[in-house]
Amino acid sequence: MALSGMRGLSVFISDIRNCQNKEQERLRVDKELGNIRTRFKNEKALTPYEKKKYVWKMLYIYMLGYDVDFGHMEAVSLISAPKYPEKQVGYIVTSSLLNENHDFLRLAINTVRNDIIGRNETFQCLALTMVGNIGGREFAESLAPDVQKLLISSSCRPLVRKKAALCLLRLYRKNPDVVNVDGWADRMAQLLDERDLGVLTSSMSLLVALVSNNHEAYWSCLPKCVKILERLARNQDIPQEYTYYGIPSPWLQVKTMRALQYFPTVEDPNTRRSLFEVLQRILMGTDVVKNVNKNNASHAVLFEALALVMHLDAEKEMMTQCVSLLGKFISVREPNIRYLGLENMTRMLMVTDVQDIIKKHQAQIITSLKDPDISIRRRALDLLYGMCDISNAKDIVEELLQYLKTAEFAMREELSLKAAILAEKFAPDLSWYVDVILQLIDKAGDFVSDDIWFRVVQFVTNNEDLQPYAAAKAREYLDKPAIHETMVKVSAYILGEFGHLIARRPGCSPKELFNLIHEKLPTVSTYTVSILLSTYAKILMHSHPPDPELQNQIWSIFKKYESSIEVEIQQRAVEYYALSRKGEALMDILAEMPKFPERQSALIKKAEDTEVDTAEQSAIKLRAQQQAQTSNALVVQDQRPANGAPPLSVGQLNLVKMPSMSSNVDDYPADPRLSQENGALATVNSQPPPADILSDLLGPLAIEGPPSSSVHPQPSPTSELEGTAVESTAIVPAGVQANSVQPIGNISERFQALCVKDSGVLYEDPYIQIGVKAEWRAHHGHMVLFLGNKNTAPLVSVQAIMLPPTHLKMELSLVPETIPPRAQVQCPLEVINLRPSRDVSVLDFSYKFGNDMVNVKLRLPAVLNKFLQPISISAEEFFPQWRSLPGPPLKLQEVVRGVRPLPLIEMANLFNSFHVTVCPGLDPNPNNLVASTTFYSESTRAMLCLIRIETDPADRTQLRMTVASGDPTVTFELKEFIKEQLIIIPTATRVLTQPPPPTPPVVQPTSAPAAPTDPGALLAALL
Amino acid sequence: MSLQRGCSRSLSPRTTAVSASVFEDFKACISEEASCQTISEINLKPVEKQHEAIRNVFSVLCSRAEHVSNFVDAESIFGPDSRLVYKHFATLYFVLIFDSSENELAMLDLIQVFVETLDKCFRNVCELDIVFNYSKIHAILDEIIFGGQVLETSSTEVMKAVEEITKLEAASNAINLVSKSVSNWRSR
Repeated sequence: MALSGMRGLSVFISDIRNCQNKEQERLRVDKELGNIRTRFKNEKALTPYEKKKYVWKMLYIYMLGYDVDFGHMEAVSLISAPKYPEKQVGYIVTSSLLNENHDFLRLAINTVRNDIIGRNETFQCLALTMVGNIGGREFAESLAPDVQKLLISSSCRPLVRKKAALCLLRLYRKNPDVVNVDGWADRMAQLLDERDLGVLTSSMSLLVALVSNNHEAYWSCLPKCVKILERLARNQDIPQEYTYYGIPSPWLQVKTMRALQYFPTVEDPNTRRSLFEVLQRILMGTDVVKNVNKNNASHAVLFEALALVMHLDAEKEMMTQCVSLLGKFISVREPNIRYLGLENMTRMLMVTDVQDIIKKHQAQIITSLKDPDISIRRRALDLLYGMCDISNAKDIVEELLQYLKTAEFAMREELSLKAAILAEKFAPDLSWYVDVILQLIDKAGDFVSDDIWFRVVQFVTNNEDLQPYAAAKAREYLDKPAIHETMVKVSAYILGEFGHLIARRPGCSPKELFNLIHEKLPTVSTYTVSILLSTYAKILMHSHPPDPELQNQIWSIFKKYESSIEVEIQQRAVEYYALSRKGEALMDILAEMPKFPERQSALIKKAEDTEVDTAEQSAIKLRAQQQAQTSNALVVQDQRPANGAPPLSVGQLNLVKMPSMSSNVDDYPADPRLSQENGALATVNSQPPPADILSDLLGPLAIEGPPSSSVHPQPSPTSELEGTAVESTAIVPAGVQANSVQPIGNISERFQALCVKDSGVLYEDPYIQIGVKAEWRAHHGHMVLFLGNKNTAPLVSVQAIMLPPTHLKMELSLVPETIPPRAQVQCPLEVINLRPSRDVSVLDFSYKFGNDMVNVKLRLPAVLNKFLQPISISAEEFFPQWRSLPGPPLKLQEVVRGVRPLPLIEMANLFNSFHVTVCPGLDPNPNNLVASTTFYSESTRAMLCLIRIETDPADRTQLRMTVASGDPTVTFELKEFIKEQLIIIPTATRVLTQPPPPTPPVVQPTSAPAAPTDPGALLAALL
Repeated sequence: MSLQRGCSRSLSPRTTAVSASVFEDFKACISEEASCQTISEINLKPVEKQHEAIRNVFSVLCSRAEHVSNFVDAESIFGPDSRLVYKHFATLYFVLIFDSSENELAMLDLIQVFVETLDKCFRNVCELDIVFNYSKIHAILDEIIFGGQVLETSSTEVMKAVEEITKLEAASNAINLVSKSVSNWRSR
């Protein structure tokens, strides 16, 4: 009975199975591969049987997970063999081993086509199967019309036609632009009259794809679908072999109802009536029976019918019937049906307004949360989450919290997130919300993301009534012997801010609170230590009358951490110590945190966003996003030593950001005189309060002078560049003269120098030095801006705004508002080159020192040649490439005049400095240069570029230049770029060795390689 | 959309998983792209990806108790909107992966059809039949699932097609000795 009884193959398989370990298996496989390879070397001597045997062995090895990197050609060539067995093997192996982009497939197209249009049905089947399984573009282009013909041909057997239908479907799905389906509506309608159920099932799949794309064209098919459904539901004229456990082809029923769901509605009253009769019959006539397979089949049809009813939005009566059916399902014994019952209820929630009916089943759904099957528990969780509203939130969230204790790790994360979202969305009162979140942190601290505890702190800060309650609750949790670190964070924060409100309660005196919190200190991470230090400072301030013993204790802690290796902790310790010695002044500085501006919860927002994406929102996905964002922020964090201001471009992501480890206390120095001045400064700054409340929360205590001034006078991040630009000019106060500060060195020369090297000084003036360090890899760039304050006073109102040209995607991480004295701040900048272009990006940089408002526009050295990578190329590679690019627009030639006379060798050096490799010896004429390079951008990927320069030894001021590449834009831009480098006097090489003398900025219009259309370039030209 | 075919492979000495995954297209263009990406990844690195996926699926399935549902969350393994249905017979797991455009129970039925066909083919199919006759399993799968779509749901019809191929092979194996004619099967 075995297909072919290939003995050698069976022996090989049992050999493999007898291998004791992976190593033995590998040896056996290697031996076999060697054998096959030698046998194939002398292909002629192989009989068809042997060929087949070896190819099956190859396939087996491939499926074991080994690379089979030979024999592809042999497999493809077998397709054209005249005899069945060889052809069969050829087709099977080709469709298993090669993907749609494999070059060898092209070789086979003609043979495949001959098989399809030929008269041998077996060959047709083989060819269709392979085309259907691969579905490549070239197949679609050359074969789709032939496959269409086969499908509607009346002379073909059903076996061929059903394959043709699916083959066409596959080609259409993969290449909808290639397969022409115009005028197919009539043919589809004809196909639906088909008697053979096999062909009909395949045609229905095809119809589903066509209708899902454009239902308008296929209205004529709708009544036919209903007819088919009637025929099946009434079991009229259904051959025995298509009756599955007594049910007439459940697959065709399901597919037909799927197709109907792609039509927005059923307008014709007669068709609608017949359809509803059928649906009613299915809904009423399905019972749970003993035979599992029959059950599955009948319920497959039933669930599809439910989906169709939901889609058609039938009369309320039928909907109610559906819900009660589903209610029945979620309590049956059969797990599959329970699963689908829950899933469909969740789906139903989104479609219609049946929430009240579903609520009746709440108890049963909650029971499903304890089902032994995790798949069912997940569905129950989804449903509970979906059906929760203000009336049942308490019950559902309580249940989720209960379940959290026993839930497996895989689900805890999702659970805690969902519980937190529901608690916030539907909290009947805020103290309940606080309870829930604290319980959540207590029970599943590891799974509670930072957003959750940030949010509860916001709530407590903004609601005075809640503060004593939250403080008392936090105090309770601290009594527990082992609590999660997140609980330490949140309790410490709340008790620091609001502990004094409960000071009169037993066990809540400042000293007792301090002792409780301090107990946890040895066990927590450095980040939490910095929160604890802030809490101590607050406790100290709130202890009335001052308790000298407590004071000494806390001071000794501050003293101890003054030498901490962590800058953040050290800074806090030093400052809090100095501040707390000021006595009464402390009260003013360590005031309570101001209220947070009201804003939508990041959690809820994200939940909503995800719900838009997918009907069933999965918390896991949500979590993944969060993690991605968090890690993002962390990168930013590491390189930002001085401030907690939000990144310029992340907008909504702020809330997810990891708490700032750094301090902006520098803005508010301990010296009261300075802090006065600082307050004055804040009033000068008429900027809106920060949008990023979390940085308030996460920074150290609010140590402010006038309560109106915000902790971070950072402009709210604006997504539109213009907006930001306007803002940045708006903050220049009248009477303050902009740019009264002269730069040191020639900005333009510095830029030129940076064009050919990757690190150096971009800008310098008496107050600040801006350095750049960059790494380039293919079309990606990673730049770091080093902003160094050269003075003993801070630079304030620091702003850096990127004005990137359209072809570059740039993301500048946040630039701190203030640069502390003598400090250097690093700001990473990510660059992605989208398209070839010579436009230059501009950094609009401004800061304030004393009364001087300085604003400079700096070109950034993210220029075209940064995306070039040197490649040296041999004559054998060069000339075929060169010839294969015939002329414009891929190959451009230009005679350039007015060239700066350069010895050839220096010109070659210049080219090499731009990553254009000069390939000596390729051109026989010694006066010519031939060079090559690779250009990278997102749109072009790696693009090989070839350059030829022909110089005239008699007149060095002119030359002929030819540039060629596979992309017209690359060719043009590269040509223009090189021209610019040759015409202008490239100071670059000089700057490399000797720094230019300090001169005021010189306008060099010629040096700005700018297209007048680009705003960034225009700005650059203004320099 | 793509049928990862014929992954019949020993996962442990005692258990073989036969998995055929069906990826379907999506309604929305964006999702379709995503789905194609998954597939092309699988196509580009078939060996590593497939085996990793199979290992993951296997570890999930092994941990499942008897008498639970036949559905498993597969999004973490096969990307968003993928569903997994499996059926467990003694030492054999049959797994189908598909997307929301298919009906879960209908897919479960399809596994049943496949198993019944195997049963007819091998008379009480066992693990070894599948291991040693994987070429035949290919042929059967090819008749049931085609380009990621359900081709035939009647095991009788599948058997007919497979027998036809078997006969043809037997005939052509004999052809070397007897005759060059291939047409005798066509008169059927």
